[in-house]
Amino acid sequence: MARTFKIGIFDDEEKFISSVRTLQEQQYPIHEVYTPYPVNEVFHLLKRNTRLPTAAYFFGLAGIIATLAFLYYTSVISWPIVYGGKPFNSFPSFIVVTIVLTILVVTILSLAVFSGRSKLYPGRENTVFDSRATDNKFIIVMDTEILNQPMSGRAADIMKAEGAIEIIDKEIENVNT
Amino acid sequence: MKEQLQVSTRFKTVCLILAAAGAGTFAAGLFSDRETAWAAYLVTNYYFFSLSMGGVFFYVIQNITQSGWSSAFKRVPEAMMAYMPFAAVFFLLLYFGTSHIYRWSLPEVIAGDELLQNRTAYLNVPFFYLRIFICFALWVIFIRILRILSLREDSLDPADQDGIMALFSKSELYSKIFIFILIITFSLSAFDLIMSIDVHWYSTIFAFKNLIAAFLHGVSVMVLIIFILHKRGYFSFLNQYHLHDFARYIFMLSIMWGYFWFAQFMLIWYGNIPEETVYYYLRWQKGWETLFFLEIGLNWAVPFMLLLPVKTSRNMTVITVVIIFLIIGQYVDLFVQVIPGTTGMLRFGLTEAGLFLGYAGLFALVVATALSKARIIGPNHPYLEESMKHKF
Repeated sequence: MARTFKIGIFDDEEKFISSVRTLQEQQYPIHEVYTPYPVNEVFHLLKRNTRLPTAAYFFGLAGIIATLAFLYYTSVISWPIVYGGKPFNSFPSFIVVTIVLTILVVTILSLAVFSGRSKLYPGRENTVFDSRATDNKFIIVMDTEILNQPMSGRAADIMKAEGAIEIIDKEIENVNT
Repeated sequence: MKEQLQVSTRFKTVCLILAAAGAGTFAAGLFSDRETAWAAYLVTNYYFFSLSMGGVFFYVIQNITQSGWSSAFKRVPEAMMAYMPFAAVFFLLLYFGTSHIYRWSLPEVIAGDELLQNRTAYLNVPFFYLRIFICFALWVIFIRILRILSLREDSLDPADQDGIMALFSKSELYSKIFIFILIITFSLSAFDLIMSIDVHWYSTIFAFKNLIAAFLHGVSVMVLIIFILHKRGYFSFLNQYHLHDFARYIFMLSIMWGYFWFAQFMLIWYGNIPEETVYYYLRWQKGWETLFFLEIGLNWAVPFMLLLPVKTSRNMTVITVVIIFLIIGQYVDLFVQVIPGTTGMLRFGLTEAGLFLGYAGLFALVVATALSKARIIGPNHPYLEESMKHKF
């Protein structure tokens, strides 16, 4: 199904941010934005929310418990060896391994959850609204199906007034977002 | 917004009374129990010296990294740095208590100890105090240079951008030189002042642990001073992003403190060499064990747990609570490092409390006086605007 999108292209971060702010204030629904680097302010402006840090905390907790349980099992229950006169459960020496393994667990699980939530997988066809979205430009994408005809025109005016270098309408098959 | 701090006479009187009370209890302690008095003197003296040192570290690192966010608060670490000459005098006064604290200074101990005989070339009383004198002289000189540069910046015309930038890069250059000197001299001082109490015990990471402890607690007290000033109407622009950055500083440093503490402990525990483990053996005896674990809890676990979420690290009350725990934590840390090797008695009596209050009074008086001598915000700092509107 082909959908038409209104795409505003900016080459300046400040203009881009103020444009997003104006559109957001006047309640124009923004479909998606693309920036060459993470822009914190836009994240807040679009009221996007993430629970990934909270999830990462629990991954870490799980990682700590799992690692300590594994170390305890191997060195106390399954195969106890007296090693340099140390007790079987030599907790202080487990801590280094625990830190390293916890970092690994958190990294892998966060990556997996993030990829799963944003539907990223090998071989996924990505929708490129404009080739400059992968370059050094800031892009605002608005869905014209949600915007009606006059609103769409006014949105273009707003972006133009805020300093967009170009505004285009583009019909895209198979939107994958 | 108030620009100049006025120190009220009431505050001055209270501080002076506290300081006098401290001196009084110390004198009384000298008559009743010399060893305890001198050991408490070393702990408290080193405590406030380390706070001042923490201010120095913070200031120097902000200069080197050209940090914008903290530039409005630079007068506070500067004021803490002003305490350094007082610490120097008190450490030189330690001369009269040398024989009560450092066993290596007693001729009869040296005579029966071959290891100490081999070390007398380095560890002898005159050279020890010469080292203290040289280290403190270097620090005081550099602190003075940085302070003069900072005050000169105030007197410049705001339009004179070149002059301001020249001063800015000059203080950066001096900070760079200073930090190299600081790392070496502070390491030597930590080895001398604290580690040589347990004269047969060595730990190469010891100096770094103490350096981070000084940095951590110095920054905490600096943040507390900023909060107090904020409550009294200065720094009215203080926002949640400043709070978050302060909290991150404390959080990061407490993790580093825990890292160094654990690195020292774990290697000794795992290596299990009697010469090394004796240090922790002493600190794991009855009664001391509690303090030993309290130390990790206060200095690492509490800041780590409380400042982990974003919400609490932007909350002034939570940060203040963490700082109060850290203030106690530094005392426990030093107590556990110093006392088992000197008196070996687990007691916190009138002498210790009196000395602590006395030093606290003096420290507060010195910091407040230094703050009142200059404008509380350096108006010509090139990054001042960034600091006032700090946001991320």
